[in-house]
Amino acid sequence: MHDTAHDLAVQITALQKWYGAFHVLKDISLSVSRGARIVICGPSGSGKSTLIRCLNGLENYQQGTVILGGTRLGDNARDTSLARRQTGMVFQNFNLFPHLTVLSNCTLALRRVGGMARGEAESLALHHLERVRIPEQAYKYPAQLSGGQQQRVAIARALCMNPRLMLFDEPTSALDPEMIKEVLEVMTGLAHDGMTMICVTHEMGFAREVADEVVFMDQGSIVEQAAPATFFSTPNHPRARSFLNTLLH
Amino acid sequence: MSILDIWLGILEGFRVTAGITIYGLLFAIPFGLVFGVAQYLATGFVRFVVTSVIEFWRSSAVIILLFVFYYALPVIGVTLSAMTVGAMVLGLNIGGYASQAVRAGLQALDRGQKEAGQALGLSRPTILLRIELPQALVAMSPTFINHIIQLVKATSLVSLITLTDMTFRAKEISQIAYEPVPIYLSLLMAYFVACYPIALFGRWVERRVNPVREARNGI
Amino acid sequence: MEFDPSFALSTVPTILSAIGMTLLVAACSCLGAAVIGFCLEITRRSGGVQGLAVRFLIDFIRATPVLVWLYCLYFILPYYGIRLDALTVGIAGLSIYFSGYLAEVFKAGIDAIAEGQQEAAKALGLGRLDRIIFVIAPQMLRNIAAPMGNYFVSILKATPYLAVLAVPEMLGQAFDIASETYRYAEPLMVAGIIFLSLALGISQGIKWLERRLLAPMSR
Ligand SMILES: Nc1ncnc2c1ncn2[C@@H]1O[C@H](COP(=O)(O)OP(=O)(O)O)[C@@H](O)[C@H]1O
Ligand SMILES: [Mg+2]
Repeated sequence: MHDTAHDLAVQITALQKWYGAFHVLKDISLSVSRGARIVICGPSGSGKSTLIRCLNGLENYQQGTVILGGTRLGDNARDTSLARRQTGMVFQNFNLFPHLTVLSNCTLALRRVGGMARGEAESLALHHLERVRIPEQAYKYPAQLSGGQQQRVAIARALCMNPRLMLFDEPTSALDPEMIKEVLEVMTGLAHDGMTMICVTHEMGFAREVADEVVFMDQGSIVEQAAPATFFSTPNHPRARSFLNTLLH
Repeated sequence: MSILDIWLGILEGFRVTAGITIYGLLFAIPFGLVFGVAQYLATGFVRFVVTSVIEFWRSSAVIILLFVFYYALPVIGVTLSAMTVGAMVLGLNIGGYASQAVRAGLQALDRGQKEAGQALGLSRPTILLRIELPQALVAMSPTFINHIIQLVKATSLVSLITLTDMTFRAKEISQIAYEPVPIYLSLLMAYFVACYPIALFGRWVERRVNPVREARNGI
Repeated sequence: MEFDPSFALSTVPTILSAIGMTLLVAACSCLGAAVIGFCLEITRRSGGVQGLAVRFLIDFIRATPVLVWLYCLYFILPYYGIRLDALTVGIAGLSIYFSGYLAEVFKAGIDAIAEGQQEAAKALGLGRLDRIIFVIAPQMLRNIAAPMGNYFVSILKATPYLAVLAVPEMLGQAFDIASETYRYAEPLMVAGIIFLSLALGISQGIKWLERRLLAPMSR
């Protein structure tokens, strides 16, 4: 693989962020090539969410650069909206719009941001709802769906905007075990379709099967970065070892 | 007429305003408690009757209730003082609202509370008095304090049935001196001075009862 | 004097003829209160000095009786040469008084929108105006629908206060009959029953609408 800037979906260089006096991201550098599947894990509060939220302008940062699809993101409205068009985000709590049907959740941005006509937006949305295997729920409201179904809708909603990069922030943490599987299956399907994905997750089975690379964060730094086989069998860093132990027990 | 004269004049009505409030609470508190608990416990026809009584006091327009009882009770041979009619009508109206807070407080309790009491072999009355009501009353106390403020404000209505409360005094004074601006603004201030401390107390209680979630700024 | 059912019945048409006025006053006051209340809440949210001032103003309104607000407008405005008819003054008074309560309704409606909604909308690339129009406002409207309905009933029950300003709504009509016939009990009771039915009917209607329209969306 040639590591030219053009083949990179994201390049993060020397990213630093503070909340007041609290140093939440410490000198983070990370490159993600097109089609790569990155899993980020680490203890709660280590800055995982903050990091991926810097990629679509939900958080700003004080130092460093983020280059998304070849364009360097500045802290201005144009770049932020550019970043948001290129990325799709899936949240831990789904964050579906409760007052809109499943279908309208998916078409809202297509119509308002993409300027698409209603019919076209709806058929595109239905296509993505099929992709997450839930087309029959299109006319229901989020509250009428199970958690797993809601999260799959959230994935379809993000896919509708045809993102080049999908960001997942603990997409299965709020789900019961039987629903985790259906969401992970959809995510695995996406990976096989070649989607570039950055997933914050503690689902180690998923990481082993799907990830090209596991990034372990602790206290605002990337502590270890390795292929999943290496990371899980022979973690280098003592904090990674103890973290993996707590996951197993 | 000086501001001081106006204030002293309005203050002469404070005794009636305060009197109706306290007298009214003597109706409101027992009514709210008894009917709130009854609505919580009762089923079937009894519940229907209890609910009807509550709704009569709560859903009627209080100003009309006041006039109806003031003018209609003598017709059926019951003569009560204006003070008693005022306190009863305003008190039971507020009591109707309070009963809903009591019932909601009881219903909001975790079922496990009652079940734990039953598992310990406690009788139903004991569970109600020692386990359910104490928790419900604490939870509803901020709401009840708001109802007290509503009662204080509603006492201004008794000026319409000839009682010389603060509002009545203000109208009397304005007949002596045509100075509506200081007189009626002073009257507003007088009620504010009476109610605001209760509101602040209510907020303090609210913070004690449910420690606040930090208010978020939407939009 | 005894209660005369047939006389009571004979007053019904006259009193009912003012139902349109009552509903008009209620609707206009509710609209006025909503507009003022929304402006108050937006200003309160914006913070700063004006935010604090409005916070105090809302507290002040809620700590003062509606009857006194009506007197204030009714007696103070002419003093400054502003002559409005009693109906306008009455609607203005109810609007001001209830705006203090509706401001709180708007606050709760905005605060209750889940935290992630803004972020999800941002992540989809929606601009600020689109986020307000398509994500925040509809959810706020949904959140405030039920309390708004309840306040509409409260405002309806406050419309008879306008009788003290001689606005010909239903209570005023009842008093007209009373002063012509010297019989108070019957027309007042009739007015009371009409108001109670209206309040209960509208409350039920609102509950029904709520179940019909909002149930599928509620969490
Ligand atoms: N808005 C904020 N203000 C201050 N501190 C914050 C804020 N958001 C997150 N933090 C802190 O930053 C740290 C990292 O948070 P986060 O990125 O959510 O961690 P993770 O997703 O790894 O659990 C935590 O210690 C958290 O308390
Ligand atoms: Mg997180």
